[in-house]
Amino acid sequence: MKFLIAIKNTKEESKNILGIGCKIAEGFSADLTICYIGKQSKALIEGDVNLARKTLAEWNIYHPGLEVLEWAFNILKEKGFAQNSDFDVDNLVEEKGRIRMVLPETTNYQIGLVLREGDLLSELNKEVKYGDFNIVIMGSPHRKRITNKISQFIDTSIFFVKNFNPNWNYKILLCVDDSRATKRAVIFSTRISKQFDAEITSLTVSKTSFFGKGYRNAHAWAERYLKRIGIPFNSKLLSGNPVEVFVNEAGEDHIIIMGKAKGNEILKFILGSKPIHTAQRANCPVLLVN
Amino acid sequence: MKFANELTRNILFWVQEKRWLLIIVILGALMYHLPYPDGISHAGYRTLILSMIVISLIITEPVPLPAVALLIAVLEVAFHIAPATEVAKTYMNDSVFFIMGSLMMAVAIVNQGLDTRLALGIIQLTGNKVKHIVLGFTCISALLSSFVGEHTVVALMLPVGLSLVRNCRKNKPIPNLTALILFSIAYGSTVGSIGTPSGGARNAIMLEYWRAITDGGVTLTYFQWIIMAYPMVIIGMLSTTFLLQLAFKPELNSMDTAIRRLKIHVAHKGKFTGNELLTILIFAIVFFCWIFLNERYGLGIIAIGGAFLYMATGLVEWKQVSRDTNWGVILLFAGAISLGVQMKNTGTALWIGESLINQFSPFMEQFSVIPYLLNIFLTTLLSNIMSSSGTVAILGPITLSMGGDPAYMGMTTAISSAFGYFSAIAAPACMIIYSSGLVKMTDFLKAGWRMAIMSTITLLLIYKFYWPLIIGFTNFK
Repeated sequence: MKFLIAIKNTKEESKNILGIGCKIAEGFSADLTICYIGKQSKALIEGDVNLARKTLAEWNIYHPGLEVLEWAFNILKEKGFAQNSDFDVDNLVEEKGRIRMVLPETTNYQIGLVLREGDLLSELNKEVKYGDFNIVIMGSPHRKRITNKISQFIDTSIFFVKNFNPNWNYKILLCVDDSRATKRAVIFSTRISKQFDAEITSLTVSKTSFFGKGYRNAHAWAERYLKRIGIPFNSKLLSGNPVEVFVNEAGEDHIIIMGKAKGNEILKFILGSKPIHTAQRANCPVLLVN
Repeated sequence: MKFANELTRNILFWVQEKRWLLIIVILGALMYHLPYPDGISHAGYRTLILSMIVISLIITEPVPLPAVALLIAVLEVAFHIAPATEVAKTYMNDSVFFIMGSLMMAVAIVNQGLDTRLALGIIQLTGNKVKHIVLGFTCISALLSSFVGEHTVVALMLPVGLSLVRNCRKNKPIPNLTALILFSIAYGSTVGSIGTPSGGARNAIMLEYWRAITDGGVTLTYFQWIIMAYPMVIIGMLSTTFLLQLAFKPELNSMDTAIRRLKIHVAHKGKFTGNELLTILIFAIVFFCWIFLNERYGLGIIAIGGAFLYMATGLVEWKQVSRDTNWGVILLFAGAISLGVQMKNTGTALWIGESLINQFSPFMEQFSVIPYLLNIFLTTLLSNIMSSSGTVAILGPITLSMGGDPAYMGMTTAISSAFGYFSAIAAPACMIIYSSGLVKMTDFLKAGWRMAIMSTITLLLIYKFYWPLIIGFTNFK
């Protein structure tokens, strides 16, 4: 599998994103690419900025994105990834509108470092298409609209790392419904549960007290699967507004895992969807499985 | 079903990516079919639509800038604003040569490693005291950018400033000292760039507008520009030093360790090399030609002559020049100048200028300064949104038609386009220091409002008292 971790600075939040990303990647034995997406200069001054960056590089003052990537790379090394390779700016290559560092001697998992400049959504989309990633791990955007767009347009699973505290023992809230992505969400949750040694709560929510056949079947299938894998879990069937119930049940100490909605794309763009609203409103990490 | 959903999602993604382009096209098409207002010709109204399309495309950037330049040519012909041969002619002129030559020379100069020499010179001049270093950085950035251009100075000076800041970082954070050092370079080079026509592309664009747009054609030599603008540079660099120290109280008074480390970094350079001397010599030749021969040969021809010398002497290779020169910007300025000429020819610039000024007609008799104030306000506003050079290219024809003396109005536009103190996008130095994460957006506002007030007052005083005093000497009109 191939995971993409998007970070924007060297702050504690980014460190947490890297931490959780590495841990999950280990669970899946996945290749890991760290991507920095920086702000692009206005096109009118871009040439001047690039000229200045060239002289700055001669003074060993590199693009701020490279400094973030170096910081991230060192953290990966601490965690046991890419132990035999070094961060070397001479190994940068420019390809397909991005800058990539060639890390020839990575062992265990393949590690990639990528620098991009431009609009977050657009660049993330290009990187995911180019690298064919299975999961994108990133911080939760401040603007809800961006969360909506990322969830809808990035055609892969998205893990929004929100309010993550590495010292807490997280549990997993597995949101089960009749959508096609639910089965993959269940499978993902078992792998992540093993990695975090976390208990799973399988939760199905109906707007009314009546649970349709699709919901009941999905809930039963999830229970059977979790039992078969042998992971400790409890399951709940609750009524109410699904998004509110998910957010309240999760609180701050759960990782929410749910399938991406496959409804009408135009309606999703305008009104959002259950997973999108959950990602926007939850106070904990949320994984939307594609 | 899956295919349809995927197709819809791709279309939606494209729509949201290109939303500005779609909005601009729809609004442009709507305006095209609306009845045109009184006082403007049919071609003038179409030029107005084209101008609005171009401004919106430059600000929102839904398509690459060179594509905007191409669109200008296509729509000028398609809208029957001018025939194809005339459009082609307006795309190439001495100012475009000048911008091209300056950018190519910048690549050559920057590649010689003169930044380390500069660092050594500054250190020897300023010593270790922070206030002397700030004064030195501001003045040297301003003086150099007057002649070699803002973009070259930024490339030469920023490494020195950033290196000092990094070497200075101790256990306790030094945000004010960092901002002080970095802004002294950024604002210093901006303030200085108005000093001569070679300070920035915008000055060359204004020279072209004076020649092509004003009735009778205002001409100004390189030296006359210096006489008109340099007092603004001198006052600007001194007050910048003072205002920056007022806005950012430094945490340290001296930078001993940082200076020592910088000296170690640049010590290995040894004596001046032949290439470095030749680089300076060629620029000196170009500079003297600009002063003494510009009326005969034009600033642009001299600039590309300089670029030729740098390549002919092997100081820079064509490959490097070709890679590091922003050809798209040259093409865009060519297109913008062409549009500016058509705005004048079709009466659009006059119509917009008069419409703006008419809003203030009751006060015009008492306050002759109103067109200048409005000029400064519009130019400053746009340069903070769009960058300084683009602002002159777009606003120049309008401000020259807003009443007031075209020579003074043009100079006011060129000078106030350097007042982009509030945002990171106005100048390359501002963008780099902002993206480095060492200064915050609020720092731009903290220093910017002081700088904007000081610059506006200085400019108005110069307009009111200095320019009338020297107008006979400069033979401006």
